[in-house]
Amino acid sequence: MDITQQIVNAIWLGSVYSLFALGYALVFSVLGLLNLAHSANFMWGAYIGLFFVLQMGFPVLLAAPLAIIGGGVIGILLDRVAFAPLRRRNAPRIAQLISSIGAATFMVALAQIAFSAQPQNFPLDQIPNQTIEGLPFRITPVQVIIFAAALLLMAFLHILVMRTKQGQAMRTVAFDERIAALLGVPVDAIFRLTFFLAGAMAGAAGMLYGLAYNSITPFMGSAVALKGLTVIVLGGLGSIEGAVLGGFVVAGLEVFSIALGGSDFRDAIIFLLLFIVLVVRPQGLLGEASTERA
Amino acid sequence: MELIWDVLRGIGISESVFQFMLVNAILGLSIYVTLYTGMFSLANAGFMAIGAYVGVICTQTLGWPLWAGLIAGMVAAGVIALPLGIPVLRLKDIYLAIATIGFGEIVRIVILNFDQIATDITGDRVRLTRGALGIKGIPKVTETWHLVLFLVLAGYFLVRLHRSRFGRAMAAIRQDENVAATMGINPVYHKTAVFVLSAMLAGAAGAFSGHLTRIILPTDFGFDRVVDILAFAVLGGTSTWVGPIVGALILTALPEMMRFLKQYNQIFNGLILLTVIIYLPGGVVDPAGWRKLWRRLRGKKPPAPAPALPGGEPS
Amino acid sequence: MNAFVRRFLSVVIVFSLVAVSLPAIVLAQGGDEEVRMGDWESPTPENLPDEIPIGVLFGLSGGVAVYGEVQQRAVQLAVDEINESGYLGDSVLVPFFEDSGGSGEQAIAAMTKVIEEDEVVAVIGPTLSSSAFSADPIAQENGIPVLGVSNTANGITDMGEFVFRDSLPEAAVIPGTIAQAAEILGLERVGVLYGNDDDFTYSGYEVFVEALEDNEIEITTEETFARGDVDFNAQLTNIIATEPDAIVVSALAQEGVPIIVQARQLGFTGPIIGGNGFNSPAIVAQAGDAANGVIVGAAWNIANQNPLSAAFIEAFEEAYDAQPDQFAAQAYTGTWLIATAIRRADSADPADIRDALAEIEDFPTPLGSFSFDEDRNPVHEPVAQIIVDGVYEILSEETAAAAYGEE
Repeated sequence: MDITQQIVNAIWLGSVYSLFALGYALVFSVLGLLNLAHSANFMWGAYIGLFFVLQMGFPVLLAAPLAIIGGGVIGILLDRVAFAPLRRRNAPRIAQLISSIGAATFMVALAQIAFSAQPQNFPLDQIPNQTIEGLPFRITPVQVIIFAAALLLMAFLHILVMRTKQGQAMRTVAFDERIAALLGVPVDAIFRLTFFLAGAMAGAAGMLYGLAYNSITPFMGSAVALKGLTVIVLGGLGSIEGAVLGGFVVAGLEVFSIALGGSDFRDAIIFLLLFIVLVVRPQGLLGEASTERA
Repeated sequence: MELIWDVLRGIGISESVFQFMLVNAILGLSIYVTLYTGMFSLANAGFMAIGAYVGVICTQTLGWPLWAGLIAGMVAAGVIALPLGIPVLRLKDIYLAIATIGFGEIVRIVILNFDQIATDITGDRVRLTRGALGIKGIPKVTETWHLVLFLVLAGYFLVRLHRSRFGRAMAAIRQDENVAATMGINPVYHKTAVFVLSAMLAGAAGAFSGHLTRIILPTDFGFDRVVDILAFAVLGGTSTWVGPIVGALILTALPEMMRFLKQYNQIFNGLILLTVIIYLPGGVVDPAGWRKLWRRLRGKKPPAPAPALPGGEPS
Repeated sequence: MNAFVRRFLSVVIVFSLVAVSLPAIVLAQGGDEEVRMGDWESPTPENLPDEIPIGVLFGLSGGVAVYGEVQQRAVQLAVDEINESGYLGDSVLVPFFEDSGGSGEQAIAAMTKVIEEDEVVAVIGPTLSSSAFSADPIAQENGIPVLGVSNTANGITDMGEFVFRDSLPEAAVIPGTIAQAAEILGLERVGVLYGNDDDFTYSGYEVFVEALEDNEIEITTEETFARGDVDFNAQLTNIIATEPDAIVVSALAQEGVPIIVQARQLGFTGPIIGGNGFNSPAIVAQAGDAANGVIVGAAWNIANQNPLSAAFIEAFEEAYDAQPDQFAAQAYTGTWLIATAIRRADSADPADIRDALAEIEDFPTPLGSFSFDEDRNPVHEPVAQIIVDGVYEILSEETAAAAYGEE
């Protein structure tokens, strides 16, 4: 067994998972609900990046911020269409889960009509995926970029949520909408901001994921949706650091269950762990032990 | 009778589609009983898989008749639900949902690798679940009247249940588990019993469905199925047992009725789901929701926020 | 919401423009071809109804649409050619396209719909073998011939005498490829990677293992992945650590691309061997240089030597501005097989079509000279290919040397 390489594989896969899970976790922390359309938002982020590179001839570096902004805008639209109307009506939260399923179905079908189901990719010469020479393990520049991006975005979100006024407002809304409103927090604007940020995270993840695996289809989100869910629950629902830690834990378990010869049971091991963590420590690895949220 | 079929066929619902609508209605009931008791359990796809595999193996390998396979599938699902329910039902809301989804995935992976594991343990070559290839060539023996009869019986059972002491305990647990406990209701007992009931209903749906589709594969019972089942219940409404049945019927029939839309079918499916749930957040079978919608359409302001709709507020 | 609407409308407009211009392109193309698809020797049919409805069931929504879309385009192309060339006399084929999705339920609903409502006389599809096991018995019970154009699982045609397929299963393709590769490249030890939760990739794996045993090639390790995976680094690291001569992969093109790319990134330079799933221009387009030296055993020779195949590729590219893959070639061939059966039978009666279909022998197609055996399975020459400098070539000493020569 090539242990060094497997550690590198685990770190790399962990960055991909955390990247996806960040936005997922952000929405949960503020709304207390799962946004099942997050994976569709992620997919659209990849297509927006691809659109600017292929149709507009932008370099990848310029297309990436556009994918991020585009993802954010889709996040806001998603809120307007699928979540805000239900919030206004004081609908049960479970109704928002269903509206997010409806939105996801719509977004995936629209992408299929717009771009067809055929896998598309970024131009091969625009991706720095030649193995870096002279290291005891094999890694490509794209992988390094994605690892750095995952940590940077986590730091950015952490600072935003913990250190800024907006972040404080977000946390107040997360604690209790009504109290936030009484304190003069513009609740609706905060929701919009949250959805923008989560959508932007999805856009960034979609773009980077598209670069990493270079195969973009309307269905690429469904492959990571369940995994992302596992990651944020394991890390502690709604915890930003938890999402990243969860990503690395899940990736590490996957890689090492394969490395030790259990590729048949890779996913069973993950879900078994999830199961045990939930029963023993329902708040997840880094979640706060509050019964309020949930 | 012929006339009814002609009308149904005219709007794109053949007898085969109708049969799947009924199977899904059973799945809707299966998730309804847990939601009604305030448990956000999504183990239904897993129990459906157990019911399907046990039922089909009984009829195919052991040569049992359908009804015996059906009962075996239901019992197997129930027997597995019992020990699972005790630790898992301590969890609430989204945590329960995730844990039960995880259970479903584990079921799927075990079915996938069952022959391999059994072969390794017994030393003989076992061919029971047939892994990724699935069990094929299952005769189509489920009839429409089987499904109708089962649903009628299940509906009757639920009506009786709701009127019983047990049913009132279910509702009380949904409102507030702690208060229910102080009133002398044993939440662990009631929740576990409901969980087992839900598993048995899902198992029945699985056994019926295996004998309709002629092939069962582990991939038939994944996360997508979970999402579908949840949508049946919530779109239909979880305040009465009729809701999930109506939800399942609508959501199964809709894509078939809209086949003429071709590649736009899925787009409209998504839009309809979105629109209905936004205007009727309590589901299609929810008189209060229709009244509110009616007032909105006539341009009157809705009254102050209504009390939370029944059906719990998971997630 | 407005942005969505605008986006949506522009998509609709573009699509309708394409739809309107397509027949014109095909028409312009049709007349002056030297090689002609079809059996023009047989008498022109006279007893056919004006319109002959056929059902075409493919998975058009969800992940399976990657294959279903291509198949639908190929069938449409063939139907247009057949109708415009007057292959069926004054009659035309009217295809009823239905989405058979990815599940048995959807396939059953689609099959029931085309048979009961559209009263089709023959059916092409469905895309997935698992869908076929659900839906084909309905055609069998109704006495409607059904022709699978991508079903490769064991036992498809055992469902009855009305069930046909023109897709060579892995079992007909892989043993020859492995034997040839073993001889040319002198393989002794290989690592195996396969999808263990999918009937196509799993049955491919079983065939590979058997072929490897027959050629006395040692398997160093077996690794699995699951449907939807995109990261195979961990499995590949394991395999590469056993220092195999080659990596054998049972996967579809969607997983094939990342597997090839990641294997190369991890430093594996040896041959990567795949089956029918790897026979797609997507492999070259998306994996780029990494695809060099990939060996593909397949039912259709993408390398373009057969004139009918060349004509098909040209027509497809002209119509859709995209390269066809094996799914397209098989769907296109299947449509012509059905039309030929109708022409020869001079009847639109399902039972007559079935009989004429069963008699098809040595029929020239893009797949090669095509026959059905007595079990209604396809008989034609499979081909072992190797990708050299981004092009599919026939596997031989020379092409293998071109791919691996310098080392």
